[in-house]
Amino acid sequence: MITFTIVTPQGVLYKDSIDKVTIPTQAGAITVYPEHIPVVSALRAGELNIHKGNDVVNLAISTGVVEIRPNSIVYVLADTAERSNEIDVDRAELAKKRAEELFAKEEKMLDIDFARLQAKIEKEIVRSSVGRKYRNV
Amino acid sequence: MAVNAKAVKQRIKSAKNTKKITKAMELVSAAKMRKAVEAAENTRLYATLARELLHRLAFLDEPNYPLLELRPVKKVLVVVMSSNRGLCGGFNANVFKHTKAVLENTKRLGEHRVAENRDVPEFTTDIEIDILGVGKKSAWFAKKHGYNLPAVFDDLHEKPQIEDILSVSDMAIRGYIDKTYDKVLVSYTHYISGLSQEVKVRQVLPVSPHDLEKMGNELPSGKGESLTADTAEIERYLFEPDLETIIETILPKLVEVQLYQAILESTASEHSSRMVAMKNASDNAGDLIEDLTREYNKARQAAITQEIAEIAGGAAALS
Repeated sequence: MITFTIVTPQGVLYKDSIDKVTIPTQAGAITVYPEHIPVVSALRAGELNIHKGNDVVNLAISTGVVEIRPNSIVYVLADTAERSNEIDVDRAELAKKRAEELFAKEEKMLDIDFARLQAKIEKEIVRSSVGRKYRNV
Repeated sequence: MAVNAKAVKQRIKSAKNTKKITKAMELVSAAKMRKAVEAAENTRLYATLARELLHRLAFLDEPNYPLLELRPVKKVLVVVMSSNRGLCGGFNANVFKHTKAVLENTKRLGEHRVAENRDVPEFTTDIEIDILGVGKKSAWFAKKHGYNLPAVFDDLHEKPQIEDILSVSDMAIRGYIDKTYDKVLVSYTHYISGLSQEVKVRQVLPVSPHDLEKMGNELPSGKGESLTADTAEIERYLFEPDLETIIETILPKLVEVQLYQAILESTASEHSSRMVAMKNASDNAGDLIEDLTREYNKARQAAITQEIAEIAGGAAALS
């Protein structure tokens, strides 16, 4: 079993012992089983799947860091994380559209704004796709 | 006498109305304060984990990251957390008083508080100060004392979200990276309990483990778990994609979370000092009503006595 915790600045979002978890990182998605070697990795916005017995919990997460500690302890430090069934797909879609409009409009943008907006679009795409994927389950 | 009684009655009415308002504000502030304190506690684990991770990355060995760079302090950015609205007792006055005292102590302002074994650049005492205001009242403070005021954020939420602070942290980080500022401080009110708050000034940039630690320890109630137990040697860790990316991801997050914490604490303190101020106002209104009621009764009694005396006098004159 893995002791798995998702922490956001808003508080602890998920804490449980689980069988395995798939985490989107900048180097590609990784699946963590118990007794994984210690790893620190940067997250990318994407879909995170937690497997516990026959249950699967799907979340959309945005950027952050994952820390896999010895003895099967895993911490995900993410800016935001949402369960698939809590995502309001229409709102995510709208937010994405807004971000894209902003993106198109502001041509002479500072690099940092550019990166931020891009990250935002990425995040909203993930949110709406994860939300839609599991909407009817 | 009768005229007097009427005037007193009017005053009682207005005092009662005031009391109703202050009482309502007191209750609202109490509820908001509870929420703000809870939010401040919730960020604790995130902040602790991020800080620990940074600690264990032992970043002090190779301080080649722009957010850790030490420069002689020539220009300082101070993020002052004040309230948008008044009627909160000495909340803003305390923040401003303390901030002013810190800013005037140029000797300490010019120093770098870092771990040993790092070269500290010579310090200057000729320091320029910019104020980055959070809350309307901070603009007034900057104006009064003649500090530059590059921006004021006065549209923050009642219940601040991490997104709200991004514009503030962005400005601080950007200003630090392009070397406009050599040091970034945050001045906020630390929430100890409903009755006591303390103004603190902390260094945000360059990222200082010392200040981060202090801020973490100060959080209300020791609810957070102690996580330092298993500090495995960092050599055993794998870094994906690489150490630099991790540090570059986590450093700005630490700045954000530090500012976020500060704003949450500030909000909690604001509500609690408003609550106390309003409680005092309600109590005073209660006393005033009591006094006025007594006066009114006296006036009324005097009027009755006089009337009886007049009737008795009239009867006596008739017989």
